[in-house]
Amino acid sequence: MNLTHLTGSSLLVATLFVIAPNDAYAYLDPGTGSYMLQIILGVLLGAAFAIKAFWFRIRAFFGGLFSRKSKGR
Amino acid sequence: MPGGDRLPSSFRDPSGHLFVHNGTIFRQINNSYRLHYDRLIDSGLYDTLVDRGMLVAHSHTEDDFADEYLAYKVIRPDVIPFISYPYEWCFSQLKDAALLTLEIHKLSIEHGMALKDANAYNIQFVEGKPILIDTLSFETYREGEPWVAYRQFCQHFLAPLALMAHRDVRLSELLRTNIDGVPLDLASRLLPVRTRFNFGLLTHIHLHANAQRRYAGVSVKPRRKISRTAYLGLLEGLFSTTRKLKWRLPKTEWSNYYSDTNYTDDALKQKANFVGAYIDSISPRMAWDLGANTGEFSRLAAERGVITVAFDVDPVAVERNYQAVKTNRGPSLLPLILDLTNPSPAIGWNNNERMSLLQRGPVDLVMALALIHHLAISNNVPLEVLASFFAGVGRDLIVEFVPKEDSQVQRLLATREDVFEEYHQAGFEQRFGERFHILSSKPIDDSERTLYHMRRRD
Repeated sequence: MNLTHLTGSSLLVATLFVIAPNDAYAYLDPGTGSYMLQIILGVLLGAAFAIKAFWFRIRAFFGGLFSRKSKGR
Repeated sequence: MPGGDRLPSSFRDPSGHLFVHNGTIFRQINNSYRLHYDRLIDSGLYDTLVDRGMLVAHSHTEDDFADEYLAYKVIRPDVIPFISYPYEWCFSQLKDAALLTLEIHKLSIEHGMALKDANAYNIQFVEGKPILIDTLSFETYREGEPWVAYRQFCQHFLAPLALMAHRDVRLSELLRTNIDGVPLDLASRLLPVRTRFNFGLLTHIHLHANAQRRYAGVSVKPRRKISRTAYLGLLEGLFSTTRKLKWRLPKTEWSNYYSDTNYTDDALKQKANFVGAYIDSISPRMAWDLGANTGEFSRLAAERGVITVAFDVDPVAVERNYQAVKTNRGPSLLPLILDLTNPSPAIGWNNNERMSLLQRGPVDLVMALALIHHLAISNNVPLEVLASFFAGVGRDLIVEFVPKEDSQVQRLLATREDVFEEYHQAGFEQRFGERFHILSSKPIDDSERTLYHMRRRD
C-alpha cells in the first residue's frame, strides 16, 4: 500500500467520523497533557508489554518442546 | 419528559440516561449509541462480563414510553439494592473497584471495544463484589486513539489509592469534595517524595500532573497515534501499579472493640441472641447497622437474608469487615465508612448528583448497638434530637442504651464536665418513647446495658 493511498483512506475515515451523525465518541475530554503523556508512556510500556509477551512465547515454545520430548520418552 | 423522570446523576453521557417509570429504573439508549450497543451485544462482550459478574445484567422492555426522537432501545438493568459512593469505601473496596475497571477494559479490548469512561461512581457493590453498573461505558476501539478516560482513571482511582496507601487512609475523603476525582497536581503535592521512586506513581501521577501543567491551555490534538501494543502496555502498567498499592492496617481505637469490651463471653452471646430474635420478629428487607464496627452484629441480619449495610467511622474496622466479606467468612453485607456526626451530604450538580445518606433511606430496620453514648456524650446530641434522627431513618430500631455507670461512658466523661443531666435510662425511654413505641426491652446480664426493640410512631 503506498503512502498516498494510506493518507487518502485515513482522510476518508476521518471525514466520515466528522460527518457521521451517529458518532457518540468521547464525551470526556482526554486533556492534551494526558494525551501527550500517553504517547510517551505508550512507547515505554508498550515496549515492555511486547517484550513480556515475546518472552512468554519463547518460554511456551521451549516449554512445549520439553513436554513433547517428555511425552516421547 | 417522555420516558419518566431522569435520575439526577444521569446527564453527562449523551449515549443515554437512566429514568424512573412507575417506580422502576430504566435506561434509555440513544440512537447515537446504537453501533456501540450492538457491538457490545454481538461481540459477546456483554455475555462474557455478565457471566463473570462484572457488569450489571439487563432485560429489554417495550419501547413505548421512551423518547421517540432519541431512543434506540430501553433496557431495564437489574436492581442495585444500595447505592454507595467512593468516599464511603475502604481502601480495598476502592482498589477492587479500580482493578475491576481495568480488567473490564482489557476484556473489552479483546472484543474490539474500549471503556470510554473510568468513573468510580459507575462501580457498585453487590453481594460483596464490585460490579460495573453503566451499560453505556463501552465504545468501539479505534486503533491509534488514546484512552480517553486515562486521566479520569488516575483521578478517580489511582490518586486516592496512592494517597491512602502512602500518606493517610483518611485522604479518601478528598473524593467527597472533588466529584471528578482527586486533581493530579494536588495528589502530586500531597504524596511523599519516595513515591517518585515508584515508576508507576512517578509516571501516572507526578509526571501526569506535570504534563497537565505543561499543556494547560493548549488545545491542539496531537497527531501522533497510539498503537494497540502501546495501549495495552499502558493498561498493563496501570493494572500493575494499582495492584501493588497496599495499605498496612494500623491498630485503632475501636478495631479491637470485641476483644476489649465490657462484655463477658456469655453476655455477648446473650446480646447476639436478643438481637437475632428481634430481627426475626421484624423480618426487614433492608437493615442499616450504624456504628457496626467489624460487623459482628450486622452479620446476624445478613445471615437471615436481610440486605445489610454496616456503617462505621473507623476505616480499619470497615477494612476488616470487607476482608471478612471477601474471604467468605460469613454472609454477604456491605461495609461502608460513615461519620454519623457528619453523614454523606448530597453533592454534585444542582446539589443532586450523589445522594445524601438520608436520601438513600429510610429502611425497615436500623441497628444502633453501643452507639448512643458516642452520639449523646462525645458529640453532645440531646436524646430528643437523637430520637428524631432515628425516627427519620428507620421504621424499626434495635438500640442499646449504655448508662453513665458503664466504664465506656466513664471513659468518655473522664476528661470533661458531665453536662448530660438527661442521660439516664428513664430519660432515654422518655425521649425515645415520644417518637417510638417501645415494644421490648431486655437488660443484658453482667452489664449495665439494656437492649430495646422500638417501632416508629406513625
